[in-house]
Amino acid sequence: MRPIIKYAVLAAILFSGVIAGTAAAAPHHGFAVFDTSSQKNITGTVRDFQWTNPHTWVWLDVPNDKGGVDTYGFEGMSPNYLERRGWTRKTLKPGDKITVTYFPLKDGAHGGSFLIGKRPNGEELRMLITSPTEDH
Amino acid sequence: MRPASGGVELRNRHLRMVFFCAGLFFVSSALLLPLAAQQTFKKAVPTAADWAAVAKLPDFTGVWEIPLGGPAARVTNPAVGVPGRLFAPLSLTPEYEAKRKDLMAHADQDNQSANCLPPGMPGIMAQPYPMEFLLTPGQVTIIIEAYSETRHIYTDGRPLPDDPDPTFFGTSIGHWEGGTLVVKTVGFSTETEIEPHVPHSDKMQVLEKFRLLDPNTMSIETTVTDPEALTAPYVSSRILKRHRNWTIAEYICEQNNRNYVDRNGKAGINLTLPKDAPPEPK
Repeated sequence: MRPIIKYAVLAAILFSGVIAGTAAAAPHHGFAVFDTSSQKNITGTVRDFQWTNPHTWVWLDVPNDKGGVDTYGFEGMSPNYLERRGWTRKTLKPGDKITVTYFPLKDGAHGGSFLIGKRPNGEELRMLITSPTEDH
Repeated sequence: MRPASGGVELRNRHLRMVFFCAGLFFVSSALLLPLAAQQTFKKAVPTAADWAAVAKLPDFTGVWEIPLGGPAARVTNPAVGVPGRLFAPLSLTPEYEAKRKDLMAHADQDNQSANCLPPGMPGIMAQPYPMEFLLTPGQVTIIIEAYSETRHIYTDGRPLPDDPDPTFFGTSIGHWEGGTLVVKTVGFSTETEIEPHVPHSDKMQVLEKFRLLDPNTMSIETTVTDPEALTAPYVSSRILKRHRNWTIAEYICEQNNRNYVDRNGKAGINLTLPKDAPPEPK
């Protein structure tokens, strides 16, 4: 329930401005650890993409000012949800350069809730797509 | 020395004892069997006619999902409420209203579902994940993708148990009224919720009516009653769409769950890099 529901609620908030439609799916598991009042962008290189339940995870290496990298962890939708909406376990590969739009963690740790990934060529990888593709 | 006849005598004694015991067993069984028959439902062996009867039932088979992201996710059935109304009224007793407020006070922190505890009934039927219906003689089985859960609804005429163990899904029996599957479920763990942050007692009962509105649209009307928690039945309705080409996927919540609630009830997240992550780039 948790992963989909919170994103479903989010999707409703983001795209329609109402949450009534997803009342049946109201979150047991809220966004307690994420600051949903702000969105951030960060660019880096995909270190790993975990195609796992209950959440996918995007691990992104971001250059820091010490000449090294900080690895950020982004929690994403479940593979069950994403695979019905065009994603596969190979959509993101180690080495891919992307800019991630995310809700940051409240405690300031390196990570957050994955909203959109954007490739250098402009292609957008959205996790919040409410309608499934029929032919899955 | 009469070893032969002594052996015969011994054998006879044994035989007599065997016959005596068999007789005792037979008499006691004859006395106990009717009693046992009253207490234990005996499931009939499915026949070809039983399988043929399944083919005549409304076609519930296949994978269904509550559409996400719009009012269709929850629609009050015109037959039971005001069309377009999204929330049925929930009327709690003072005791359970106080419990609800207490739960709401902690709603800003994740609850135990962050630790992969599944929602159970009735919330399990409101998941934005698909579920598959299987119809077999005397049983309807619902395979729910979220948390890889399964509900068993017995339609073979068995009675509800008098004193069921409290469980997340309860114990369900059903029967067909024309094209409608009517399901009654009792015996719930109080770890489940009527709606998020709305608690119930172990006396909660759930009545569900499943029917097809058109070949690929299913309506589930749910009535929750609870003499301790609710002052009036709580009725809600959901619409599901069938996806013929879908299959149910695996959902193992414990696989890579990085959310948690600690022992103080505070939500946290585990950002430890995966063990098999590629090494840091040079």
